[in-house]
Amino acid sequence: MEFAHVNKSEKRVDVYEKVTGKAKYGADMRFPDMLYGKVLHTEYPYAKIKSIDTTNAEKMPGVVAVITAADIPNNEFGVIIENQQVLAKEKALYIGDGIAVVAAETAKQAAKAAEKIEVEYEELEGIYDPLEAREEDAQLVHEDLEDNQVIHHPLRKGDPKKGFENSDVIIEREYDTPFIEQSYIEPEAVVAVPYQENSTVTVYGSVQNPFATQNAVATVLQEDLNKVRIVQNHMGGSFGGKDEVISSMAARASVLALKTERPIKLVNSRDESIKESYKRHPYHMKYKIGATEDGKIQAMEIEAVADSGAYACQTPFVTWRSVVQATGPYEVDNVKTDTYGYYTNNVYTGAMRGYGSPQVIFAQESLMDELADELDMDPVELRMKNIYHNNSFTASGQKLDNHEVSLEEVLTKAVEKSNFVEKYKEYSKEQPGDKKKGIGLSISFRGCSLGAEAIDAAGIILSLKKDGSVSLYSGLAENGQGLKTVYCQMAAEALGLDTDKINFMQVDTLISPDSGSTVASRATLIGGNAVKKAADNLIEKIKEYISDKYDQDKEDIYIKDGSIYGQKDVEIMSINEMASKAAMEGVYLTTYGWYVSPDISWDEETGHGRPYFTYVYGCQVAEVEVDTGTGEIDVLNMTAAHDVGRAINPANVKGQIYGGVSMGLGYGVMEEIETDQGYIENTNFDEYMIPTVKDMPDIEPIIVENPDPNGPFGAKSIGEPTLELGAAAIANAVANATKKRIRSLPLNLEKIIVGKDLHKGVDHK
Amino acid sequence: MIEFEALKANSLDEAIDILADKKNEVKMVAGGTDMLVQIHHESDDLKEMKYLLDISAISGLDVIEDNGEYLRLGALVTHSEIMDSVLINEKFPILQKAAEVIGSTQIRNRGTVGGNVNNASPAADLVTALIALDASVVLHSSHGKRELPLSEFITGPYCTDRKEDEIMTEVKVPYIQDEYYDCYQKVKRRQAVAIARINLAVITKVKDNKFNDIRVAFGSATPTATRFKEIEKELAGADLSAIDYEQLAEKTSEEMVGITGERWSTPYKRPVVGNLLKRALQSIVKEVQ
Amino acid sequence: MEEVNVTLTVNGKEHNIKVPSDERLLDTLRDRLHLTGVKEGCSIGECGACTVVLDGKAVNSCMVYTFQLDGSEVLTVEGLEIDGQLDPLQEAFIDHQAVQCGFCTPGMLMSAKALLNEKPDPDREEIKTAIEGNLCRCTGYQQIIEAIESVVKIDRSE
Repeated sequence: MEFAHVNKSEKRVDVYEKVTGKAKYGADMRFPDMLYGKVLHTEYPYAKIKSIDTTNAEKMPGVVAVITAADIPNNEFGVIIENQQVLAKEKALYIGDGIAVVAAETAKQAAKAAEKIEVEYEELEGIYDPLEAREEDAQLVHEDLEDNQVIHHPLRKGDPKKGFENSDVIIEREYDTPFIEQSYIEPEAVVAVPYQENSTVTVYGSVQNPFATQNAVATVLQEDLNKVRIVQNHMGGSFGGKDEVISSMAARASVLALKTERPIKLVNSRDESIKESYKRHPYHMKYKIGATEDGKIQAMEIEAVADSGAYACQTPFVTWRSVVQATGPYEVDNVKTDTYGYYTNNVYTGAMRGYGSPQVIFAQESLMDELADELDMDPVELRMKNIYHNNSFTASGQKLDNHEVSLEEVLTKAVEKSNFVEKYKEYSKEQPGDKKKGIGLSISFRGCSLGAEAIDAAGIILSLKKDGSVSLYSGLAENGQGLKTVYCQMAAEALGLDTDKINFMQVDTLISPDSGSTVASRATLIGGNAVKKAADNLIEKIKEYISDKYDQDKEDIYIKDGSIYGQKDVEIMSINEMASKAAMEGVYLTTYGWYVSPDISWDEETGHGRPYFTYVYGCQVAEVEVDTGTGEIDVLNMTAAHDVGRAINPANVKGQIYGGVSMGLGYGVMEEIETDQGYIENTNFDEYMIPTVKDMPDIEPIIVENPDPNGPFGAKSIGEPTLELGAAAIANAVANATKKRIRSLPLNLEKIIVGKDLHKGVDHK
Repeated sequence: MIEFEALKANSLDEAIDILADKKNEVKMVAGGTDMLVQIHHESDDLKEMKYLLDISAISGLDVIEDNGEYLRLGALVTHSEIMDSVLINEKFPILQKAAEVIGSTQIRNRGTVGGNVNNASPAADLVTALIALDASVVLHSSHGKRELPLSEFITGPYCTDRKEDEIMTEVKVPYIQDEYYDCYQKVKRRQAVAIARINLAVITKVKDNKFNDIRVAFGSATPTATRFKEIEKELAGADLSAIDYEQLAEKTSEEMVGITGERWSTPYKRPVVGNLLKRALQSIVKEVQ
Repeated sequence: MEEVNVTLTVNGKEHNIKVPSDERLLDTLRDRLHLTGVKEGCSIGECGACTVVLDGKAVNSCMVYTFQLDGSEVLTVEGLEIDGQLDPLQEAFIDHQAVQCGFCTPGMLMSAKALLNEKPDPDREEIKTAIEGNLCRCTGYQQIIEAIESVVKIDRSE
């Protein structure tokens, strides 16, 4: 299929301002009379707050106001469960809880004043292990609840007992993954401006989900939604991480803004960001798998325990995705899966790119290789025997029949490109010397968009101005991933215009349609469908106008390269001309497109249903060299095959693949937020390491396109699939190289040499 | 929050005067890549600091000079300057191998010899190389000049023998007569911009296919970068073609544990120090052949 | 706190300013001169988002006090575009899709600029070394390397 704009690597629409430094991010915003906010955080992870004395702070030079929980109209918010404190009231529940916020004329004055706030704490003994938190008489993290369980998702299919009885080989393994920091290079930043125009408060900033933040601020202020306005600035990355933490900051800044009647800028330092913001859930997973000796999986029993930290945040949904996908993309007739989330006094956990998938993929793909070993099969062979095809049934009993199930395709392409089979054989032999090579793969299926988490709908407004230019209003937002460009391309394609005629307007709750959050790799798929709808509606209007005025049959009318054509392909007039004429005749050329995703279903007791309306498939192959003398891992190359339905912008898709591989590599080899009794030990980039340019392997991206009937121009998702596979592929490659299996991430120096993690004082697995 | 008054010295005499006057109330800054981090972290070491003395403009402290018997490395020489120096490339390429794995380009453009040595991190890459090279430091104060071996100057992790009125002006690296071989190893948690998990500098001459005047210095393995004298003794006069690497590796670990005792990191460091030495020696053997 | 007089040339323009002792070059550029293209990512010289070219060398502006810089010259990302003409590096970043969220971009450009000013024909390893101190979480670095390499190739052909 030939497209004019879709499937083309067009230049990003927002790149000029970024390469010139003109793009304004949250911390770059300035307003007259603006004050600077500084948060005083708790000294202890779990403590009673006996008293807070702000008098000395208030007397400090430049200080205009100091607030505590007592000043917050409604101190608790939350997207799913409303138990996240804006500021700690009676107790600090984790090390990042805020106690008070100072507003002063300069950032320095605010910081100095914050030091003068006197807090009397009663240090308490907290719970820092979800396995401890789940015990019957465990201390309660939230005293108003019955226990520490945030959520439990069960999934039951067939008869696992029978399945295991039928198995020739059964293996049981445990896998662990750590807290991970999203590590967007831009720390969180908001500016709250009071009484701008008709809004009680307007919050600018690095806001990933303007409508979730709008909701949170309105809830906290006890204000109507239509009085709270959120405007999204350019964002320096988010990866899921600028949701609740930003809402909390926005709420604090808003309260201060209304109290002082001046704009308040609140920016996190990196240390504050790492201490305060939510992390990726650590998972402790138990897997049991049974197969007949020909490699056919008979049964799986899975338990995954997630650490929710102090607040519920997104735990119910993150663990839900896990329960749907925990078996991996394999046909298994008998499944028992349980995923749990528990409160602890650790840093709270929430959305991070992948959202419950990287953890289970690490486990399930490691497990598959371990099973292959037991069965004396190679990793490709075993997977080929079990993967989904068209019309396969998932663990939820969903028949995969409405899109191309391309697992075999991505697996085969990646395996071939990387020369996996030959290398696997080669590296499986004993290798002389300390440096050993290995190759490993991982595959996944991923449900696109929100599934049964929430109503999945998005809206787009397209406004054709009288000079032929177009404004595009979207509720889904640019985090840096290229959403603006892709939407403009799709609109341009649908309307027959040039991409640079479309202006993606800043996401502003003032006019953008509430389309839910920019998460779940849903923007191209759901938002893109809304773009198409709005465009189709606009074209319909244009056709009506032209057929009316120029005596043409609607079916003959089409738009191409900015001109309108009719019967016998005769050009009638340019879009610009038409727009101008229509405006003069009172014809309104602004349309709305609202897309609601197809029906999904989910039974909470059995995990049965159609949890997602479509899926994407991916395979990554990692080739590594492990230095068994020092423990260092060099990832030599990565082959990444991803079915994206249709690549709206291939260069963009490649960028997502490179970036996802980078994040997956970090997850596999070097990243870990180290906690000790609730304290976070590595609070900056000197000790929390993310990959540098020199850590990157050669990457071979393979874009697979099986247009999805439900996707705009056939497109579906790319953002999260690219990250969720890397660590598992690397783990399998390392096992191939060293003949030793490490069942926890990251695969750091100590684990390679000693076989387990080493920590000051305490031995961890 | 750490507060201080800025002072600037344009000459060594000015600096000496300020140090004599302010003593422990003044800390020095040159490139800033360690000092500003300490200030950001509100390090306890800076509790008494009232003044921050900028020494980056002092003329004469950025020399890289051939002094006949030794190389003079001014305290203000940056890691980038070490990497670019023809003289150092000729006389002590190991210093370049160490400098080029410190931090990032931005850090190397600012970080100095004086900073690396005076910060005295157990993992400081330049320090390990300088210890292997038997370097010494020169300190100036209102009392005059003082010189002592680097191994004595660094007294513990992040501790030096610098008196509160002294400023280190240069490092002296004695030339090694005759041809010699070197090898620098650094174990890192990622491939760039990483503190050494362990580092190793090996310097040796080879006479009649035997190790001669071999120096083996490990960093980040013991409280301060140090030469492993037992291993050096073991290797002195050893034939290159008859090295029992396994035994050597074990002796290396033993020597390390002899200094540090069993620590939480020992299960990792024990095998790795041996492996690193093995690797360094093998690379030298290969070069010799 | 006493302030220090400093003459600082930024993007070709001379500024005579009085700065408190703890004002970092980053603060001077962002808050005093409103050059918000220079970003703060970590405050300890690890991420490179604050990279500028100081007296010809790429440095982390969060790791330098302005009082140390009397008489110095600074180039920031705002100084790359001249009279509406983008620097070849900026064009290359656009053409090679080397920008996603854009937060690391100014720092990357300055590291690359410093490199090319000193060495017009670096090889891939040298390019990587020049940007090893610039962290990027979005792009995986691949297209950034390609962008910088493309400028080198242009120079070679001239």
